[in-house]
Amino acid sequence: MKFMPHEVMPPAAVGDTAPPMLELVNVWKRFGDAQARTVAVSSVNLRIAKGEFVTLVGPSGCGKSTLFNMIAGLLPPDDDGSLLFGGAPQRDGQLLGKVSFMPQRDLLFPWRTVLDNAILALEVEGVPRKEARERARAMLPEFGLAGFAGHNPHQLSGGMRQRVALMRTFLFERDLMLLDEPFGALDALTRSRMQHWLLEIWARHRRTVLFITHDIDEAIVLGDRVLVMSARPGTVKSETAIDLPRPRDPSVVLTPEFIRIKQRLLAEIEEESRKTFAQEGTAS
Amino acid sequence: MNAFLQRAVRSPALAFVGLALVWEFCVHAFAPSPRLLPALSAIAQDAWSVWPQLVRGFGRTLLETVLGFATGALFGFFCGTVFTYSRWMERSVFPLFVVSQTVPVVAFGALIVIWFGNSLLAKVMTAFFLTFFPVTVNTLRGLKSCDPQRVALMKSFGAGRFVMFFRLAVPSALPQVMVGLRVAIGLSLIGSVVGEWFGETVGLGVMLMEAMNADLVVRLWVVMFACGLMGALLYGLLTFVERRLVWWRSES
Repeated sequence: MKFMPHEVMPPAAVGDTAPPMLELVNVWKRFGDAQARTVAVSSVNLRIAKGEFVTLVGPSGCGKSTLFNMIAGLLPPDDDGSLLFGGAPQRDGQLLGKVSFMPQRDLLFPWRTVLDNAILALEVEGVPRKEARERARAMLPEFGLAGFAGHNPHQLSGGMRQRVALMRTFLFERDLMLLDEPFGALDALTRSRMQHWLLEIWARHRRTVLFITHDIDEAIVLGDRVLVMSARPGTVKSETAIDLPRPRDPSVVLTPEFIRIKQRLLAEIEEESRKTFAQEGTAS
Repeated sequence: MNAFLQRAVRSPALAFVGLALVWEFCVHAFAPSPRLLPALSAIAQDAWSVWPQLVRGFGRTLLETVLGFATGALFGFFCGTVFTYSRWMERSVFPLFVVSQTVPVVAFGALIVIWFGNSLLAKVMTAFFLTFFPVTVNTLRGLKSCDPQRVALMKSFGAGRFVMFFRLAVPSALPQVMVGLRVAIGLSLIGSVVGEWFGETVGLGVMLMEAMNADLVVRLWVVMFACGLMGALLYGLLTFVERRLVWWRSES
């Protein structure tokens, strides 16, 4: 859609014609009763257009995962906001099965082989096992897992396990993919390789992606837009369009544009981290 | 050769042979009264002399044990499942299970005979009674310890209760269920032997009683060895099944 560096897509422009893939309007999540209330997510507004790759960064404990669980349909948002998917408001649990969701841990089932882990979602959907396996087998090379179909998860490295989990997410063919720090547990080198590999796959399959991370470099390298979340109560504090040309290769992190964006985002996040620290200081 | 020797040293077979040698040595060196410690050769001879009875008894007790174990394991798994998914049942019925286990099985052996007569069923019931509880407890624990994040993942795929149960909950509970089964298999053997004491004509428990009453010390040893052999066989079989069924490593 946008390979030209300056062809930045402002979200509002998309909203005029078709409804955005996902729209959050004033979404809140509060825990506990009136006396001991924790506001995990406050007044989040965001729109994601079809085919976009949006990254969300924020300090740890800012409610990123709570927000994610709400978008995945695992946690109902509070009543005062609404969550629209393809233009239609979603009530309790209606989003389950509509969004392909990849949590932080790979959560592979140790009793299933690589291939059978990958087809888990298809099996749940009721696709016959044989057909599901054939579809998955065809995707193995693309995910760097050729020849590992019959391996068990404990035989794989962290990066490979993460790729199996991603493949499982990809095979669950939904328009919106939610990735929650999928590379958080990997070493820096593997992580960088995985990021660029993910970009390649994304360019081929053109899914809409919302990607959570606490790594600013990762957010900039991957995203069309970077959303910065504030310290608790979490809300989307700023939004930055990343107009670095695609395809982006690993050296993109050395370009002056990249560094300029990073400096700005770092300053914002630094401020938020300080706030979190201060809050924790007063709370204890 | 060296590797072979190392394997031999570590294998339990050598320990058994060693124990037997020490045994024979003690008998020859200290010559205790056969009442206290009969020679292994004497035990073997006695076993040979009652061979047909021993084989029949072994078969009968094995049948009781296996039937009691199988029914108890199934019932236990069923109850564990019900308790996992029904808080109400867990609250109201589970304490009853616990209380039932505090009564020693010997205490109502007579009652079982009155209810079920002098039948195979009576022994199966005593074995069953000892078996179902550890399986229930371990099934309950296994199913409850199912990783909530995996549950969330399955939910996000749109999984319903049945899919969730068979694809996720049961496989994750299996290692724990196997722990329960291993405890249960030994208890099941105890149950069937004790069950035979309340009236039976065939079985290892019967032979044990007879030997005790007739003061046949060597025969006691024969039956003890037979019981030990059966227990080891069953345990070994279960371990074999476990390796096949729960071959993955537990992650936690």
